[in-house]
Amino acid sequence: MIASVAFRNFRALRATSVALGPFNIVIGPNGSGKTSLIEVLLRLGELARHATAGAPPVPAADAPASARHHRDAAPEIGFVLASQPGVVVRMIRGADRRRDHVVLDPPDGHLWSEIQPLLADTRGYVLDHAAMARTAPRRGGMHLNSDGGNLAAVLAGMRQRSPASFSALTAEMLRITPEFHSLELAEHADGRVEFGLRLADDGLVPAAEMSQGMLYLLAMLALAFDPNPPRLLCIEDVDRGIHPRMLREVRDALYRLSHPQASGLRRAPVQVIATTHSPYFLDLFREHPEEVILSQKQGRAARFERLSDRPDLPELLREGSLGDMWYSGILGGVPDDA
Amino acid sequence: MKVALLSESPADEAALRVLVTAVLGHPPHFVTSGLRARGWPNVAQVLPAVIRHLHFNTDTDVLGVVVDADDSVVHTSNHDAPGYFHPNCRMCQLRAVFRQTTKRLPAAHGRNRVLRGVGIAVPAIEAWYLCGRDPQVSEAAWIDGQERGQPPYTRPELKLRVYGTDRPSLPHEIGCALREVARLRTDPRRLENDFPGFAALARDLRHIHTAPGPIPAQPGTAAGVSDPHS
Repeated sequence: MIASVAFRNFRALRATSVALGPFNIVIGPNGSGKTSLIEVLLRLGELARHATAGAPPVPAADAPASARHHRDAAPEIGFVLASQPGVVVRMIRGADRRRDHVVLDPPDGHLWSEIQPLLADTRGYVLDHAAMARTAPRRGGMHLNSDGGNLAAVLAGMRQRSPASFSALTAEMLRITPEFHSLELAEHADGRVEFGLRLADDGLVPAAEMSQGMLYLLAMLALAFDPNPPRLLCIEDVDRGIHPRMLREVRDALYRLSHPQASGLRRAPVQVIATTHSPYFLDLFREHPEEVILSQKQGRAARFERLSDRPDLPELLREGSLGDMWYSGILGGVPDDA
Repeated sequence: MKVALLSESPADEAALRVLVTAVLGHPPHFVTSGLRARGWPNVAQVLPAVIRHLHFNTDTDVLGVVVDADDSVVHTSNHDAPGYFHPNCRMCQLRAVFRQTTKRLPAAHGRNRVLRGVGIAVPAIEAWYLCGRDPQVSEAAWIDGQERGQPPYTRPELKLRVYGTDRPSLPHEIGCALREVARLRTDPRRLENDFPGFAALARDLRHIHTAPGPIPAQPGTAAGVSDPHS
């Protein structure tokens, strides 16, 4: 699990850090660094899959001032793992200003090879209902693509490789949407698969005709019931397309990943980083404010703050819901007025 | 009797249906399902609109409202004194909202008003679920703890005791709630004894059941009592 991330000169995140837990919901105005946080985590995963850790090219002491300036102004992100609290994994932009490098501080080649697979096991999602509704090649269904575009193939693959997971997913979907009777998959002659939900009165709603909310919900359950989930899962706008009363189900699905023992599962937890703009979704974290990260925008700079670090939070919660407090601006994490 | 419930979650509603049925001795007709509020103070904010909706658009006889007390002032018999209104007591506040909202409504659907059934779970509905299972959990124990500045338990602890986790899924929460109220429904008097916040709801329901029509004035709750919400 990544315990913290520290930013220097990365877009709006000029100098800030954030502690991460098993489950993290990030709220804040547009342009306050929510997506940047997710991007650097995914970028680290990418580098861990391909790069070796080493020293970045450092301009010599007699290098031109422009090179020294670049070094000082270059973006640098430091990651600390819960299992290695004394080691910082630094991601530094190279002098060519295009390539990123990973550096272990202190250097330790053996440790890097140990943590590389852990850091590499990362997936990020910005789900797209239009992509999810399309048919997908049957073969591409091992893991859900970042836009959910291969949802049909993932469901078909899960049904074949892990029937128990598929049954559990189906049961959960039908519990949440009792108007449906079954989740059905069909494979076409061209090797593409599609899915649909059969109504209790027997009519079939194909994916292409499903509501956006149904597609998002199904994709969320495909992630939650994935028999081989990643170690780190990032997902943007988890509330997208979901009715406010259904948001509890989305939170529960994500908790299934981050706190598997609470669902009676015996597997390693998945660290979850999610973003939302919904006060209703935020309301669901009243009992766990430590899971909420506020990204605060101050001019062109932004910084992160844990909601549970606010000493006045218990008093504020006596006055109203978390979502209302956020919307009001008392908690911060709101846009500047025009 | 036609009963509507306003609750904070589907789990609360499922449990309340059982408890209301137990108090009345037979299942009432639950006319509207799914009236929901987003915790306190949202319950008090939406309550006038809910009452007016039920009054004009349905033939509901009684609206049952149950909220968690959280850390608010617990309703005691002192609050029932004539003219008394505690601004930080949720029972006093919800009763005041009922009074204020219903007193100006014209008759509709053959009745004068939607009648009131208010219960306060101290400090949370999970405490009710532990009644008879954990003798340390009662409204008196909570009040005693409040007075000493040392609450006997926290809300997360109560959840943990009931659900076995502080992050229960909704089906698990509903399952546990129904399991506990199935135990309590055989003798709701025990719950009334240990939790006066439930007894108040039971009194409201029994009174309506035995004497249909507007609830007569109770000490401190009569229409026209000089509280700030009247």
